[in-house]
Amino acid sequence: MAKIGVFICHCGENIAAKVDCTKLAAAMGEHPGVEVSVEYKYFCSDPGQESVKKAIRENNLTGIVIAACSPRMHEATFRKACAEAGLNPYLCEIANIREQCSWVHTDGDMATAKAADIVRSMVEKVKRNNILQPIEVPVTRRALVIGGGIAGLQAALDIANAGQEVVLVEREPSLGGHMAQLSETFPTLDCSQCIMTPRMVETAQHPNIRLLTYAEIESVDGYIGNFKVRVRMKARYVDMNACTGCGDCITKCPVKKISSEFDCGLGKRTAIYTPFAQSVPNMPVIDKASCIYFKNGKCKTCQKSCELNAINFEMQDEFIDLEIGAIVVATGFQVQNTALYGEYGYGKFPDVITGLQFERLASASGPTAGRILRPSDGKEPENVVFIQCAGSRDPSKGVRYCSKICCMYTAKHAMLYAHKVHDGKTHIFYMDIRAAGKGYDEFTRRAIEEDEASYVRGRVSKLWQENGKLMVRGVDTLLGKPVTVAADMVVLATAMVPQPNAKEFAKTIGIAYDEYGFYNEAHLKLRPVESSTAGVFLAGACQSPKDIPDSVAQASATASKVLALFSKEKLEREPVIAVNNEATCAGCWGCVLACPYNAIEKKDIRDRSGKLVKQVAYVNPGLCQGCGTCVSFCRSNSLDLAGFTEKQIFAEVMGL
Amino acid sequence: MITQEKYRTTVKELLANGSIKMAIGYRPGSTSDRRRPLFIRTSEEADQLVLDSTCITNLSGYLVTEGLLSDEKRVGIFLRPEGIRSINILAAEYQLNVDQIIIFGFDFTGREVRALQGQTTGDFSALLSEIRENPPLATKEPLLERIEKMNAKERFDFWQQEFSRCIKCYACRQACPMCYCRRCIVDSNQPQWVNTSSHTLGNFEWNVVRAFHLSGRCVQCGNCDRACPVNIPLRLINQRMAKEVVDGFDHFAGLSPTQEPVLASFKKDDTETFIL
Ligand SMILES: Cc1cc2nc3c(=O)[nH]c(=O)nc-3n(C[C@H](O)[C@H](O)[C@H](O)COP(=O)(O)OP(=O)(O)OC[C@H]3O[C@@H](n4cnc5c(N)ncnc54)[C@H](O)[C@@H]3O)c2cc1C
Ligand code: SF4
Ligand code: SF4
Ligand code: SF4
Ligand code: SF4
Repeated sequence: MAKIGVFICHCGENIAAKVDCTKLAAAMGEHPGVEVSVEYKYFCSDPGQESVKKAIRENNLTGIVIAACSPRMHEATFRKACAEAGLNPYLCEIANIREQCSWVHTDGDMATAKAADIVRSMVEKVKRNNILQPIEVPVTRRALVIGGGIAGLQAALDIANAGQEVVLVEREPSLGGHMAQLSETFPTLDCSQCIMTPRMVETAQHPNIRLLTYAEIESVDGYIGNFKVRVRMKARYVDMNACTGCGDCITKCPVKKISSEFDCGLGKRTAIYTPFAQSVPNMPVIDKASCIYFKNGKCKTCQKSCELNAINFEMQDEFIDLEIGAIVVATGFQVQNTALYGEYGYGKFPDVITGLQFERLASASGPTAGRILRPSDGKEPENVVFIQCAGSRDPSKGVRYCSKICCMYTAKHAMLYAHKVHDGKTHIFYMDIRAAGKGYDEFTRRAIEEDEASYVRGRVSKLWQENGKLMVRGVDTLLGKPVTVAADMVVLATAMVPQPNAKEFAKTIGIAYDEYGFYNEAHLKLRPVESSTAGVFLAGACQSPKDIPDSVAQASATASKVLALFSKEKLEREPVIAVNNEATCAGCWGCVLACPYNAIEKKDIRDRSGKLVKQVAYVNPGLCQGCGTCVSFCRSNSLDLAGFTEKQIFAEVMGL
Repeated sequence: MITQEKYRTTVKELLANGSIKMAIGYRPGSTSDRRRPLFIRTSEEADQLVLDSTCITNLSGYLVTEGLLSDEKRVGIFLRPEGIRSINILAAEYQLNVDQIIIFGFDFTGREVRALQGQTTGDFSALLSEIRENPPLATKEPLLERIEKMNAKERFDFWQQEFSRCIKCYACRQACPMCYCRRCIVDSNQPQWVNTSSHTLGNFEWNVVRAFHLSGRCVQCGNCDRACPVNIPLRLINQRMAKEVVDGFDHFAGLSPTQEPVLASFKKDDTETFIL
C-alpha cells in the first residue's frame, strides 16, 4: 500500500499569495494513498526539512511529494533529506506550483485548482516510482581546454598549477587569440602583449600542459569524466621537433604579399609564416593555399634555406586520440563582418577601418610600429571619427545585444590617438556610454576630460567622400541638430559576434547555443560557467561578449569547477537511464543506430548449453545519458527510462 | 505454365543437392483465385507448387518464423519485387541473414508470369532501382488520388469512417512481413497506450500507430488490406507514408540489405537541431 506524504510549501508569499495552501493540503489529504498532507512556510529551511524527515520516519512513508518551486531549485535538497530519513531519494518528487502555477496566474481559485492538479499528478507518479541507485563512473583526471586565447590560457594554467594534466588545443599556429592583437588595454592602459606573452610562454613550458597548436577537434564522444576526444593535427609542413624557430625560411620565402590575418589585412606576410613575432610556439607553418610549391610543384626555397631540414612537404594531417575527464570551451569570438554596413563605407573607403584594425595600428609591434597612419596614403590623420554600436544593438543587422566592450575600447582608442597625435581631433558618435566596471567610468571620463574626446550622442546615417575627406553625417540628439564632420579616418566599433563555425562546433561537442551562436550556460545566474552538458565548461567570449577581466575571472571559475570534478575518484550520476526489456525486444537494432551517445550494444542471449537463442539490445549504463531517443524509437515498446517510465508518466497524465 | 514447371524442377534440384532445406511457395487455395502458402521439403511437395497471376501474397514474413533460420541452413522463397524489398528491410533490421535466402523471383504482366533473373537480393538491385524510378502502374490507386484531393477535414473524416469499422482482429499485423515484433505495442498494457476494445478512438490510435511503425518500411505488397476482414484500404495510408519518406528523406525502403532504417538513423550534420 502506498503511503505518500504531501508537503505544501508557501515559499513565503510566493506561493501562498495565490494558492490557498490550507485548502490544497486538505484536498490532497483526501486523495487515495496520501497518508500525510501538510503545509509550511518554507520547507527548504532547516526546520522545514526536519519536519519532512520526521513525517517520513513516523508514518513509514513510501514516497513524498514536495509541492514547491521548480525541481531545478531544490530537488537535490529534498532528495538528500529523504535519504537522511532512510527513504530512497528517488521516491521523492517535486510538484512545481511556483514557477508553473502561482507566479503565472492571477486568479487565486483557479491557481489553487491547478495546483491541486499538479500535485495529484505527482502523487500518482510517485506511487509508481521505483527504488533507484546512483550510477558510479570513474573520472579521467585530464582536462581539455579548447582555444588558446586569454580565457583558455588562464583556465589551462589554473588547472595545471593545481597539479592536474591539461591538453590545450588551439586551431591557429600560435596561442594568443584576440588579446595578442590588442595594443594597450582598458582600463589601465597596460600593453597587451607585455601581459599576454609571458602567459603564453608559461603555458608552453608548463610540465602539466600538453600544447597542441594548429589543431582542431575532430570528434567528442563519451560523457562527464570519460570523454573520448579525437584531435586533428593540421599539417604544418614544418617538423616541430627539428625547427628552432630561427626564421630563415620566412626571410627567404618569395611569396611576400599575402594579407596578414593577424594584422587584419593592414600588413603582409609570407607563405611560410608565424602569425606574429612573439608567436608561441615560435615555429612557422606553410599556408598551403599560397605556397608556390603546392601550386605548381616548383620552389622549395624554404626547404633549401633550412639548415635543420625541418621542412617536409609530404606531411599529412594526423590524429591524436585523447581520454579526457572535463572540457573547457574557450573558443572566443570574432568581430562582425563589416561588409554588412554599406552606409559606413567599409570596404569602399580604405580609411574606414574596424576597431581591431585600429588596435593593430596603435600596437608597437603592428604594421606601422605603433604610429597611427591611415591605410590609404600612410598619412597621420588629423581628425578621426569613431562610430560606436556599429552593429551592436541593431536588430536589423541581427545583433540585438550590446557587445559590452566597444564603449570602453573606443574611449581607449580616442585616448591612444590623443597621446600619439597631439593636435588630433576625435569625434565619437554613441548611443549610450556604458562604462560599468571597476575603474571604467573614470576611464571614459578621462578620455573626455583629459584627452578631449568629443562625444556626439546620435547615430551616423551617411558617410561619403568629398575633397579627400570622409564626410560623416549624423544627428546630435542632445542638440536636436544634424552634424557633419569631415574626417581623415573613421573607426567602426563593430559588434562582437560568435566564431563563424560556432554552431557546428557546438554540435561536435554536444552543447547548446543561443540564437546567435554564443554557448548557453546551464543557468544564467546560478551556473554561469557550466554548459548544458555535464563535464563541459565555458570560459571567455564564446559564451557572450566579454572583456579581459571577465574572461579571466570566468576562466578561473571553470578551472575551479574542473578541479572540483577531479577531486573525486568516482562520480555519481543520476540513474535516469534507458533499460531494455529483453523478453520483448525484437533485436531490430534501430535503437543502436538512433542513440546519439552510442550507448546501446548488441547482447547475445544463450540457453544453458550456450546456444544462441536471440540477440537483444543492451543499454550500457555508463554511456547512457537518459535522453530517451531510443525509448521513443522502439516499436515494440521494449525500452523504458528509469525514473521516467511510461507507466509513471502515464499515471502522471491520468492524474491531471 | 512454363515458368511454374521450370521452377518446380529448380526447387527439386536444390532440395536434392542440399542447397536449400525448404522452399516457400504457393499452392491452390479454397477457390480458384486464392492461394495458400506451401512449404516444400520434398520432391513430391514441389509438384504441388503453383505459380500464376493469383500468387500475389508476399511470403517473406514466413522467413522470420521463430527458429526457421537458426540452423543457418538456406531456405528458398518465391517473391515478387516487393517481396525482395521486404527481404532487404528484414536484413537491414537484423531479422535474417540474406546469405541464407535463395530467391525465386517472379512477376506478371496481366496473366503472364515470368521469372526474374537472379538468386540473391544483390542480383535484383538494378531491378529495384528501376522500380524506384518508375513505379509500376498498379501503385497508382484511383482511391488514393481521390483522398489526396480531399481537404484535411474530409480526409480525417474519411479515415475516421474507415477505422470505425476495424474490429481489432490484428490480421493486418499478422499478415505484414514487417510486423515481426515479439510483442506489439498494442499488447503492452503497463501502461495501456492503445485501447484494446474496438471503439473509434482506440481504433484510430491503433491504425495510426501502425502507419507510423510502417513508414519508411512498407513495401506496398498489400498483404494487410487483403487480410483485413472489413476491407479497410490500409495499404493506402502506408503508401502515402512511403511517399512522405521519399520526399522528406530521399529514402526508398528495401533497396539493399545494408540500407540504414530511415527513422532510426540520423546525421550529425543535419541542419535541424532536434537531437544534437
Ligand atoms: C577591438 C577590440 C579591442 C579590445 N580591447 C580590450 C581592452 O582594451 N581591454 C579588455 O579587457 N578587453 C578588450 N577587448 C576584448 C578582448 O579581446 C576579449 O575579452 C578577449 O580576447 C576574450 O578572450 P577569449 O579567450 O575568450 O577569446 P579569443 O581571444 O577570441 O580567443 C579564442 C581562441 O580560441 C581559438 N579557437 C577558436 N575556435 C577554436 C576551435 N574550434 N578549436 C581550437 N581553437 C579555437 C582562437 O583561435 C583563439 O586563439 C577588445 C576586443 C576588441 C575586438
Ligand atoms: S528498438 Fe526496441 S526492439 Fe529494436 S532492438 Fe532496440 S529495444 Fe529491441
Ligand atoms: S536514453 Fe536511449 S538513446 Fe538516449 S542515451 Fe540512453 S540508450 Fe541512448
Ligand atoms: S503494411 Fe501492408 S502493404 Fe506494407 S509491407 Fe506491411 S503488409 Fe505490405
Ligand atoms: S485487419 Fe483490419 S480489422 Fe483487423 S485490426 Fe487490422 S485494420 Fe483492424
